[in-house]
Amino acid sequence: MQKPNAQRERIIELLEHKGGVTEQSVREVAEETGVPQADIWGTGLFYTLVAKPGKRVRLCDGLTCQMFGADKLAEELAAQGKEVERVSCLGQCDLAPASLDEEMELVTYGKVETRITPDDPELPLNLAGPVDMSYSALAKVKTMPAEEVIDELKAAGLQGRGGAGFPAHFKWNSLREQPETQRYVVCNADEAEPGTFKDRELILRQSHKMLEGLAIAAHVVQAKEIYIYLRGEYVNEYRVLESAINEASSQLADYDIKIVKGHGAYICGEETALLESLEGKRGMPRLKPPFPTVSGFRGKPTLIHNVETIACVPAIIHRGGAWFNSLGKTEAGSKLYCISGHINAPGVYELPLGVSLDELVEAAGGYVGNPIAFSPGGASSGFLPISQRELPLDFKNLSEAGSMMGSAGVVVINDTVDMAQAAKWQLEFFERESCGQCAPCRIGTRYIHRQVDKYIQLGDPATLSMAEDVGWEMEEGSICGLGMVAAKPLESARKHFPEAFKVRD
Amino acid sequence: MNYPNTKKIDTFTIQLNGKSCQAMSGETVVDVARREGIEIPTLCHDTRLEPAGACRVCLVEVEGQRRLQPGCAWKVHPDMKVTTESDRIQKHRTVLYSMYMADHELDADGLPVETANTNQLRELCKTIEPMNLEPVEAPRVGRPGDENPYIEFKPDLCILCARCTRYCDEVEAVNAITLAFRGSETTISTAGERGLIDTSCELCGGCIDTCPTGALVEKKAPKNLVSLETKTTRSTCNFCGVGCQLDLHSHNGRVVKITSPEPGETLNDGNLCVKGRFAYDFVHHEDRITEPLIRGEDGELHPVSWDEAIAAVAEGLTKVKERHGADSLGFISSSRCTGEENYLMQKLSRAAFGTNNIHQCAAT
Repeated sequence: MQKPNAQRERIIELLEHKGGVTEQSVREVAEETGVPQADIWGTGLFYTLVAKPGKRVRLCDGLTCQMFGADKLAEELAAQGKEVERVSCLGQCDLAPASLDEEMELVTYGKVETRITPDDPELPLNLAGPVDMSYSALAKVKTMPAEEVIDELKAAGLQGRGGAGFPAHFKWNSLREQPETQRYVVCNADEAEPGTFKDRELILRQSHKMLEGLAIAAHVVQAKEIYIYLRGEYVNEYRVLESAINEASSQLADYDIKIVKGHGAYICGEETALLESLEGKRGMPRLKPPFPTVSGFRGKPTLIHNVETIACVPAIIHRGGAWFNSLGKTEAGSKLYCISGHINAPGVYELPLGVSLDELVEAAGGYVGNPIAFSPGGASSGFLPISQRELPLDFKNLSEAGSMMGSAGVVVINDTVDMAQAAKWQLEFFERESCGQCAPCRIGTRYIHRQVDKYIQLGDPATLSMAEDVGWEMEEGSICGLGMVAAKPLESARKHFPEAFKVRD
Repeated sequence: MNYPNTKKIDTFTIQLNGKSCQAMSGETVVDVARREGIEIPTLCHDTRLEPAGACRVCLVEVEGQRRLQPGCAWKVHPDMKVTTESDRIQKHRTVLYSMYMADHELDADGLPVETANTNQLRELCKTIEPMNLEPVEAPRVGRPGDENPYIEFKPDLCILCARCTRYCDEVEAVNAITLAFRGSETTISTAGERGLIDTSCELCGGCIDTCPTGALVEKKAPKNLVSLETKTTRSTCNFCGVGCQLDLHSHNGRVVKITSPEPGETLNDGNLCVKGRFAYDFVHHEDRITEPLIRGEDGELHPVSWDEAIAAVAEGLTKVKERHGADSLGFISSSRCTGEENYLMQKLSRAAFGTNNIHQCAAT
C-alpha cells in the first residue's frame, strides 16, 4: 500500500541514480519514497533508460539512421567488443547515424555540422541570431491585461507545434476559466519523433526564448510552477537549459522552474502520458476528457506547450500577433522544419509555414540522388510520393493528403531505399514505443510489423492481406494518437508505392 | 458507484439507440445501458474499479464525437445520443476480437481456451466471424517459478486489461502486482518477479475473481471446472465474525470452488480473504469432527448429543473449580466467533465460573 505523503514523483529519477531497476534498487527506492515496490518495479521497467541496469552503447534505430547504415554500424561496434542496445530515434537525424556512448554522451558518425537558417532579425525564433536575455517581452506582458495577451496569440494564429496544431489561445483561455487556482505550466521537450530535432536546436541556441515564453504563459494563466519535461537522451541540452535557467534566475525569480528528465519512452511526448510520467507513473496516456487544461498535472489545470510553440510567444508580444501571422505562407507564422535523409544540408530551417518540399530542400542544399518519397512530419505522418513535392507543408494540406504536419521532421528518401523496408523501420519504432495499455495498439503494432517483416522475407503480398483492416481498427479503437497513426507508414507506403509490395522472388 | 458528496445529482434523459432513457449525472453510458437492458460488451470493466477504457471492447458511437468512445468511461450528459449497434461498431468488434485472438491461446475449435474460470473473451469471439489473423507471439512472460499454493498466472490468456493490478491497488490497497515492461512485452509482474508469497500479496485471490479471461486461476481447481455441473450454495463464512457471504460451488457433493456473490450484492462487495476463498479443504477432510464426541471408559471417542456433551463439560469444569479454585481455569475463545459469542464466553468465565482468565486467540 502506498504510504501517506509518498513521494511518487521522485521514483524514476531515484532509479536512475541507483543505476537502473534491480531488486535492490527498487527496495531502496520504496523505503525512501513510501511507494510500493511493485509499483516502482512496473514503472521502472516502462522506461528504457532505467529498465536495464548497466552501461552500454545506445545506437539509434530512427529512419534516417537506418538509411545511413545503422545496422552495419551496429555490427562494427559489436565487433569492437561493445555491448550495443538498439534504441528508438535519438533526435540526431541530421548527423546520422548517431549513438550515445556508455556515459550517455552523443557520438555521431555522419555529417559533423547542423545547418540552420542564417541570422535574420525578422524571424521570430531566429536560431542563428544573438541571444536576448532582456526578458523585455515578459516585462511588457506584466503591464498588459491578460486578455490582451491572449488576443495577440489569437491574432497570431499560433498553432501547437508539437504535432496537433491546436490553437494556443484556446488553451490559455480555458485555463483562466478554471475555478481551481492551483495551476501549472508544462513544457513538452520530450522530442522523440523520428526525423525531428528542432527543439534540440532551439534549446541549444535560443533557450531564453523558450524560458521567457514559459514565464509569460505562467504570468497569464497565474501559475507559479513551471515544469520542463526534457527527454533523457538530451544530455547536453539538459546542461544548456540548466545553465540558462541559472543565468536568468533574477528575471525568472517569480517562478519555480524545474527540469524533469524523461527516461526513454517516446509515448511521454503525448501530453497526458507526459503528465503520468511527471507524477512518477508508467507513461500510459489518460482517457480524454478531461483535458489537461481542466485536470492535468496532479489533477490541476495545466497548460502544456511544445518547446517551439512557447518560444514563439516573446516575438508575438514584441511585434504583435498580426506580424507573426503574416509570416506564414498558407498558415500563420514561421515554422522550424527539420530535414534529413537524402539531401545535401540536413538541419533546421525556419521558413514560412506552408512552404513546399522543393522550397525546403532548396534551403537545405538540394536533393541527393533521385528522390522518390518523403516523410513530411515524422514516423506518424507516413510517406508521401515525391510527386507531391509542391504540396504546402502545413497542418491543413498535409491532413487532407492523408498525412500530417506532425513535428515537421521531414525525411527525404531516394531510389536507393526499398519502401517496404522504410515502412518496416517505422513500424518497428511504433511496436517498440507502444505503451501497451490498449489492445488495438499493443497487438496491432506488433501484428503489422511482423507481417511486413514476413513480406520482406517471403515476397508474398498475401502476408499483408489483413493489414488494412487491422490498421483501420488501430485508428478507430486506440486510446491515443500513437495507436491511431501507427499503421500509417505501411498504409501510405502501399498506397503510394504499390510496386514495392508486389510478389517478390 | 461513487458520487462526490459535494456535487448535486441531476436527472435527465439521454438517447440510447433512439430510445429515451433516464440518466443521472456521474453515470457512464454503460451504467445506463445495463439498467435499460441494452448490451454493451466489456472486458476491463469492474464496478469496483475506476474505469480504465483499456480493452476497447465497449466502444460506442457518441453523437458529435468523431471517434468511437468507451462506454465504460464516457460520462452521460443531457440529451446525448449514443449508438451501440452499427456497421462501424460491428466492424470494430470483428477486427478487435480477431486481434485479441491473435494474441491468445486458442483451443481446437479456434476459440480462446477456457480454464478453470469463464473466459469472457471466448464468449465475445463466438459473436463474430473471426479473421483468423496470424498469431503475434507476444513476448509476454509469466512467473513460472512462483510457488504460491493458490494463484496461477497464464500469460498466454492475459489481455492486459489490468483489472487484477487495479483491483490489488484500488480495492485491496496491497499493490503486490503491477503492469511491467511496455508495448507487446507488457505483462503482469511483481517486484523482482518474485513469487507472490514473497511480496505484499495476501493471497486474497481477488485477482482471480476479477480476471475476465481465466488468465488467473486457482491452482487447485479442477481444470475442467467451467464444464462441470456444479451446484451453488449461499453461505456465511465462519472464519471470522465479519459475516462475508460465500457461494460454495459443489460437484458430486464436494466443494470445488468458493466465490463471493457479485459486487454490490452483499456486505463483502465481491471480496473475500485468503481463508474465505481458499481454505475449504477442511470441509471434506477425513479428520474433520462433525458431531460432539466424548471419550468413554474404554478410551475411545463416542458420538453423543449436544446436551450430553455440554453437561459433561459443565460437570468436569465445575469439579476442577471445586477442587482447585476458579483461577485454576482458563478460557480461550476463537477468532471464528462473533463479538457477541466472545462476550458470552467472557461472561461464562467471569460470571459463571468466577475467573478473569479469559482470552481470545486474536487478541494478543
